[in-house]
Amino acid sequence: MSQRLIMHIDMNAFFAAVEQQSNPALRGQPVAVVGSQQRTIILTASYEARSFGVKTGMTLFEARQKCPQLQLVAANNRLYTHVSAQIIEIFRDYTPLVEVFSIDEAFLDVTGSLQIFGSVQRIAYLIKSRIKARLGLTCSIGVAPNKLLAKLASDMQKPDGLTFIRPEEVGIVLEELPIGELCGIGRSTEHKLNALGIYSCGQLGRYSAATLKGRFGVIGERLKLMGQGVDAAAVIPLEQEAEVKTVGHSMTLRQDIDDRQSIARFLLQLSEMVGRRARRYGVLGKTVTLTLRYADFTTFSRQQVQVEPIGQSEEIYRASLRILDSLILEQPTRLLGVRLSSLQHRDRQLLLLPEERRKQQLCESLDQVNDRHGEFSVMSASLLDVKGKGSHVISPAWRPEGIRNVSFS
Amino acid sequence: MPETKDGLRVGVIHGPGNAIKPVWFDLNRRKHSIREITNCWRERRGDTALLHFHVVDEGALYELIYNLTSGCWLLEQIESL
Repeated sequence: MSQRLIMHIDMNAFFAAVEQQSNPALRGQPVAVVGSQQRTIILTASYEARSFGVKTGMTLFEARQKCPQLQLVAANNRLYTHVSAQIIEIFRDYTPLVEVFSIDEAFLDVTGSLQIFGSVQRIAYLIKSRIKARLGLTCSIGVAPNKLLAKLASDMQKPDGLTFIRPEEVGIVLEELPIGELCGIGRSTEHKLNALGIYSCGQLGRYSAATLKGRFGVIGERLKLMGQGVDAAAVIPLEQEAEVKTVGHSMTLRQDIDDRQSIARFLLQLSEMVGRRARRYGVLGKTVTLTLRYADFTTFSRQQVQVEPIGQSEEIYRASLRILDSLILEQPTRLLGVRLSSLQHRDRQLLLLPEERRKQQLCESLDQVNDRHGEFSVMSASLLDVKGKGSHVISPAWRPEGIRNVSFS
Repeated sequence: MPETKDGLRVGVIHGPGNAIKPVWFDLNRRKHSIREITNCWRERRGDTALLHFHVVDEGALYELIYNLTSGCWLLEQIESL
């Protein structure tokens, strides 16, 4: 089999760069994108801000200490997902094998595209130029024989880089590379490997597979292969992605709350978001799960199986309220989540009761308005005075078309 | 100002050193001012060395290719903006 050619494309400081493009006054300025106003951290910072030492995950206080002139912009998830979808469309002009890794990262398998476009270098520059000319954004591209190395390569030159790791260079690149640089080796695994005397990828690749397996179980062998730069994982396009088995949303609240009425209002929001997604997927669910996180980060979930599968926001809301009312809350709550599972297809059956028919028609009409004008354009009156509706987090399940494969139990 | 057989003319600033920077091109008697060079790179095909430029005018993104051996330019429109 011929050598695969995998690209990893990583948009540079994506949220901040999109904000700078949409507001010319921000261009060339140190800009940080932040979440909600009271419990906020830096989601991402422009390269101008990074040069002052502003980093993702910093608190506002820390960031302002590093860069007093830092300009803060509230995250605009609708804008980012819209721009991301345009970028992914550009990728698809060069190969159907596009795996959306996150809102600002994707893997492309361009092995079969060379005959049409000439060279992998040309494909990379075509993508970079089209994104830059059309959207004013830059990206870093890594090209390698597999996903692991392509991701590593894209990290090597930022911003606006193009880095190749050719098969004959893999050993040299990895020999001294710290293991934590590899995608998939987190802080915890890194510490455990350090305890075995493994610090570089070269050491990891030479380490005894049996010892690694004994220490890490089945992933031990995989770790050794990672150290050698071996990764057989395929680029999986959207239509072949693993199926979604649940539909859920959660939100960290602006401040901890402990009164039922406030919690109920957030549950109504979450139920609306879950219901909207369930209807877009065309599914009903039999199990509703409520997740709470206390102020001290203790997190727990309770679920309730429904008599009939449900999918309307109001039904999900009532079910989550029933769960809430069965609990005695010991502390104020900082996070709430609602999930629908045990999914099944929603039959478009004719409802006999006029009341049920009216409800369904109303629900569909509301969905159409919100599809056209954005989430929460039309909502329950009780949500009108809730500020900053929505979870403010782009779900890892986000995909350009907004719909993933759904598994039915 | 090298000219291709298709009548493409490209205005270029040479230097400093060996650098080449296209600043306009004339195609079918229409002059296009280059607003931005988004990317450029060198490619070798056999004995031939090619310089690729992705350039933007007011309306579109183009690929200009300069053949260092023959001194000819080729042009391809990539997309309208």
